Amino acid sequence: MRLKFKWIFTLLMLALSMQFSFAQEKNIKGVVTDDSGPIPGVNVVVKGTKVSTQTDFNGVYSIQAKAGDVLVFSFMGMNDSAVTVGASNSVNAKLTSASQSLDEVVVVAYGKQKTKSIVGSVATVGKDILEKQQATNVLTAIQGSVAGVNIISAGGQPGESPTIRIRGIGSISSSAEPLIILDGAPFSGNINSISADQIESMSVLKDASSTALYGSRGANGVIIITTKRGKFNTPTTVHLNSVVGVGSNAVKLHKLLSTDRLTELSWEAVRNVNQYGRGQAPALAGQNASNSLVSALGYNPYKATVPVDANGKLVTTDKYWDTDWEKALINNSAIRKENSIAISGGGENAAFSFSANNLNQEGALVNSNFKRTSVRISADTKINESLTAGLSVGYTTSTQNFPTQSGNSYQSPIQWIYNVSSIYPLYQHDDQGNEMFDNLGRKIYDYGAGDGDLNAVRPMMGNENALGALYNYTVRNNRDDITINGYAGYKITKDLSFKTTIGYQRYMLDNFNYSSSLYGNAAGVNGRITQNRDITTSINITNVLSYKKQFGNHTIGIDGIQEAYKFKLDRMYAQGEGFLPGVEVNDGATNPTGVGGTVTEERLNSYLGRATYNYANRYFLEGSYRTDGSSRFARDSRWGNFFSVGGAWSIKDESFLVDSKVISTLKLKGSYGELGNNRALNADGTDSYFPYQQLYNLGWSEMDYPGVSLGAPADKKLTWEKTASSNIGIELGFFNDRFKAGADWYQKKSIDLIYAIPVAGSTGNTTYLTNAGSLKNYGLEVYLSSVNVKNTNFTWTTDLNFSFDRNEVTSLTQDYIINGSKRWEVGKSIYDFWIQEWAGVDSATGKGQWYKDGVDTNGNRNTTFNYSEASRNYVGKSSLPDVVGGLSNYFKYKNFDMNILFNFSYGAYVYDSSYASLMTGLKDPGRPGSADLENRWQQPGDITDVPRLYQSTQDYASQSTRFLFKNNYIRLKALNIGYNFPKDVMNSIGVNNIRIYLQGDNLLTFQSHKGIDPEQSFAGTTNSRTYNQRLASLGFSIDF
Amino acid sequence: MKNIVRNITAALVSVICLGSCSQEFLDEVKPTTGVPVESIYESRTTAEGAMAGILRRFRGQFENAAGVASTDVGGLNSMFYARSLKGNDVISSNNWYGSDYENNNREPTYRRTTFTWDYPFFMINQVNNFIKQVKASTKIVEDDKNELLGQGYALRAFFYHQLVLEFSKSYNEDQNYPAPPIYKEPTVVPKGMSTVKEVYDFMVEDLTTAIPLLSEDRLGKSFVNKEVANAILAQVYQVMGKWDLAEAAAIEAYGGNVTSVLDAGGYGSGFKDNASVEWLWGSPQRPDQSNYYYLAPHAFSDHRSPGYYSAYVNSTFVSLFSATDVRGGVGPTKLFNKKSATLPSTDYRYYVSNKFSFTFSSHSPIIRYAEMILIDAEAKARQGNNGGAKTVLFALQKNRDANAVQSSNTGQALIDEILVERRKELFLENGIEWFDAKRLGKGMPRDGNQRLKGPNAGVTYDLQAHDLRFMLKVPQSEIDANPFIDNTVNNGK
Repeated sequence: MRLKFKWIFTLLMLALSMQFSFAQEKNIKGVVTDDSGPIPGVNVVVKGTKVSTQTDFNGVYSIQAKAGDVLVFSFMGMNDSAVTVGASNSVNAKLTSASQSLDEVVVVAYGKQKTKSIVGSVATVGKDILEKQQATNVLTAIQGSVAGVNIISAGGQPGESPTIRIRGIGSISSSAEPLIILDGAPFSGNINSISADQIESMSVLKDASSTALYGSRGANGVIIITTKRGKFNTPTTVHLNSVVGVGSNAVKLHKLLSTDRLTELSWEAVRNVNQYGRGQAPALAGQNASNSLVSALGYNPYKATVPVDANGKLVTTDKYWDTDWEKALINNSAIRKENSIAISGGGENAAFSFSANNLNQEGALVNSNFKRTSVRISADTKINESLTAGLSVGYTTSTQNFPTQSGNSYQSPIQWIYNVSSIYPLYQHDDQGNEMFDNLGRKIYDYGAGDGDLNAVRPMMGNENALGALYNYTVRNNRDDITINGYAGYKITKDLSFKTTIGYQRYMLDNFNYSSSLYGNAAGVNGRITQNRDITTSINITNVLSYKKQFGNHTIGIDGIQEAYKFKLDRMYAQGEGFLPGVEVNDGATNPTGVGGTVTEERLNSYLGRATYNYANRYFLEGSYRTDGSSRFARDSRWGNFFSVGGAWSIKDESFLVDSKVISTLKLKGSYGELGNNRALNADGTDSYFPYQQLYNLGWSEMDYPGVSLGAPADKKLTWEKTASSNIGIELGFFNDRFKAGADWYQKKSIDLIYAIPVAGSTGNTTYLTNAGSLKNYGLEVYLSSVNVKNTNFTWTTDLNFSFDRNEVTSLTQDYIINGSKRWEVGKSIYDFWIQEWAGVDSATGKGQWYKDGVDTNGNRNTTFNYSEASRNYVGKSSLPDVVGGLSNYFKYKNFDMNILFNFSYGAYVYDSSYASLMTGLKDPGRPGSADLENRWQQPGDITDVPRLYQSTQDYASQSTRFLFKNNYIRLKALNIGYNFPKDVMNSIGVNNIRIYLQGDNLLTFQSHKGIDPEQSFAGTTNSRTYNQRLASLGFSIDF
Repeated sequence: MKNIVRNITAALVSVICLGSCSQEFLDEVKPTTGVPVESIYESRTTAEGAMAGILRRFRGQFENAAGVASTDVGGLNSMFYARSLKGNDVISSNNWYGSDYENNNREPTYRRTTFTWDYPFFMINQVNNFIKQVKASTKIVEDDKNELLGQGYALRAFFYHQLVLEFSKSYNEDQNYPAPPIYKEPTVVPKGMSTVKEVYDFMVEDLTTAIPLLSEDRLGKSFVNKEVANAILAQVYQVMGKWDLAEAAAIEAYGGNVTSVLDAGGYGSGFKDNASVEWLWGSPQRPDQSNYYYLAPHAFSDHRSPGYYSAYVNSTFVSLFSATDVRGGVGPTKLFNKKSATLPSTDYRYYVSNKFSFTFSSHSPIIRYAEMILIDAEAKARQGNNGGAKTVLFALQKNRDANAVQSSNTGQALIDEILVERRKELFLENGIEWFDAKRLGKGMPRDGNQRLKGPNAGVTYDLQAHDLRFMLKVPQSEIDANPFIDNTVNNGK
């Protein structure tokens, strides 16, 4: 590599030195202006030299140059301008504002709008941001770049979609995810089928005026993804990009006790039970603990029959094995490779683009991966003066090895690490401790369900081995996703046009599960294959009639839109048992054990309209209306009406400010609207397509008799959730928008929440889905951007955005609702923890204590040793952060550039149940312990916060504030350092640009609570999820 | 201009057409994962589909309100197995059900507590819907209705019996003790606690209503017929101490001919097939309808097939059997075996049970005829009919052990012998020790090579007579969601 650099630099120097010689130098003079007149202090440089000057107070400059030289004019907040010196001695330049606010166009609902005319709140993530991250799932790129969007990434499986909440959480039981629109049609596949380099922009629509046209699906915000297309009248360009990197866990796991210490402390946990619980004398208690230790563990890694003596000391540290499950299961050298090509261009009447992307990424677990190939083609034509048509076709195929990523199944690797200690071997050992081999001489994974009384039966996770599960089982997802979007536009008159758009998507998910015929949970039936094949087809048709007319200072626009949406989910599954080893297809089944399938449809029919008006580009008004009929609700309650109104006032354009040199933008805007949400969910988070019907569910047959089981009760009158959303915003710019700032205040009141209200279990159901309760989300979003330095050689810009989001229950159908670790009542947030309060360790007995209601005679709060007496209270802590945001800095020095993006969250709390499971006081034999158990209570008088070790049923680690931790963090989300080879050199070899870059994602994480990834869940709970990956990559791109 | 008019017309026509079609467009889609409630009750056959679905829920994973299912809380068999572990005859390693073995698994937030409450109530609600819809059906003829309703009433009583046993003091201890709420109709509106007496009265009413409606026919061994309803009634009367009624119901259930419902030769074949003549009522399984590793006690007590290997047998219990008893003996082909050759006899892992054979299609027994025979014997003895009791008892003993000798006991000694016989006969099946101790107000002392016995943190591992730990506390989730039940319901528990 270094050699190559040297070579390139030599070439570079040669090229530079050759430029000298020829031509006569002369004195060039001129005036530099912008729209409002001459600009003082503009940098003028003769390109490729050190010759430079600045304009004076009148915008006048003079400089020595010769014909053919290029003069570069640059000024902060303005676009650079380059002018070639000709015969004349006078060169004037006119700079344009770098602020794109004037003419920049943003993708909005059913169309595009100029930034200036936007009355609502829309943020855009452009390709400039996407290019500087390795967003295997494009939605992750929104994190830290858009104010008011809270994102929690999905863990260590590449490509999984993050959880996204735009402006707080307005839904409880129904989906609070934003609606995703791809090229005009609702996207119904897996978003990981879209590769980031094929995207032109993502618009995040936040307020009512921007989302109202999505009516019944707009309440939780909308993300519009627009793919790249060719542009008319542009030369064909080719872009190649290649990036290779390596990934590891972004943060460290909880620190565990070593095998030796765990063994000794396990002895202590048993001894304590014998001594304090069973009343044995200390010496006898110790002796009995020594004797029973191995039988409780089931395994003995030590080369001594009784490894711990009666005083709790190991008699030997010599071991047959010492397992590091983390090392075995986690891939800390995961390779990521991505290659892409994009070709685009256009002539007078046709434009095209083609792109292809190939990705191969290993995940956080040793054999998890994601491989994706996607191709996208678009074509746009002007058939004649009034008729245009276009088509874009995307095809993506992907496969992923997707071992269990979270949860409490035996195959969940993180849970395994936190529940199976290093005392248990990876491979089978006999009762003498010797390693065992199969008939081919290979090691055999230890499944903990062997024959015998020692080193055979694990007391937890029996008949499973986490590493064996990764290699002996297969969980594979194959996906094929085709999207076709076509449009035809017809200009009926100069002002009236009609456009029809059809979006078609066919998405197939092939989920294949194989459990080994030899080992593990299906070995008893010689293996099992379950294969699910889900085919999702959706068609969306939109007809738009647009009228636009300008007369004088008045501009009006009216859109009438009709839309129909059809969605079909065709599910089929087959299951078989009894396979020969090595046979992993259902054809090999000796016993077909299951088959199933359903076809579910959903439909939506809608009429929409939008009217816009502006006066002199100074006053803007906009109104939209949508009526929706959804098949998710009963006939009488399925139609809903949604609307919004909004306005903006560009104060800058008033006569008293129009000439201001200081203020370049000043705009006030406001909007109000009412939106809906129809996306009711089942308890498992899947879509509920007929939530208003109580059904007898199929699939509960009793032997040969077909059986049905009554599902949860439903409200026949169930209807939309409605959200009333208000937004007030200000946009500010100074010095030609060199400094920009903006703020939006919003309030979203959601009523008639589709909510599965908890009902008493004695009624036979634990939930009842109905419209109940209301919520308020409100907050403030702020962004600041600044061009700190900008001259020919050096540029430095800073962008900061942050938001304060609050959530409040405003009404309920009952006094309060208890939901896990939260209690919802009017005036509180749904994210305020309401749990038992830990009162520390009693120094006399070492037992844990909790607070209970009331005070004693000294006014101190009552405490109890009995967990069931502990009272639950609001503990003044919320899982919702006080503030989240992002900070990015961009530096460019000559041909080097660097982009640094941090995202941060402050003020949230997380309940770490993984840590709790490590701090039980070794309640269950053989489970690992946190290194923090070293601080345990050991004898009366000890002052500590870690209770005594006690291997018996106890509640020291039951839910309480003991495991509620502050969860502040700052993450270096993306770092991109690049070098662009000099253009002139590249041009000479027929290349537009060559760039090499280093790209790092999640390189650094500073967090207040260590051991888990700070991004867990909005509810502030943990779920043994795999850890997010840190990626460090080297990339190369070339443009022809 | 012509073009313009044409285009606008075309656009308008298409919009209008789409509009007028829209109601049908939306009406066309129907749910396919389930069937509307009313259409299930249009014939006896479809109504039996609802009954089949209820019986299927006797086994299988049961999700809590948060959608989480756990290995030790699924189906009726998990309730039975948790009871088995509380006594003296079974020993558990520290594995699933470990806290049940410690007699500690009863706090309001524990999943045992929540499950043992929610699951029977789930079944009761399914049955209540069934009863309501069958009654309301205009398509099912009267005779068919009666047979369906009979099954419903019997099942409702069965699950109320499980609830009252788990959450209240025994009938003989305190009939006015608070008991789980009584629901006779499906509803989402909760009710307050009832009393033990009210629940027993309700069960007796349900069962005595059911029996005349039912016939001896049924679709399979997991369905309820007249015999099953009588068996449930016999258990209820046994707890109530109504011995004449218990005797009559038990005889109705097993037919009065002891040997015709016993098959000593099949006792050792693994308790995995409800086709056995000994089984009155049992849940079947097959590979595509399997409970997998949730199946208790099979997956936990069978040490010959990969499972949890967590259940062991108390040596004092093993020694109760004679060498020729088909239910006893030690060896690979006998009903007990040694775990390994090396463990000392004092180790809790010394003996394992071969009674239940674990596969994904093993069946689980709910009621076997032998239990009815022993209720008959006990009822006779309690009424002073020592001779009759001995005859019935000996008929069973003789079937199990060719060398059995008829008992010379009378009175309490005879009753005690019958109680021991119940443990020997029904070992690991339905928590028989716990059931007897609970109804009779006795303790369950632990001895032999028990892993946990003696004192434990101020109490003991074993249960004393009338021990509060015979009861579970009312789950916090119920208290939280039921305005008629507050925290005081657990006072003194």
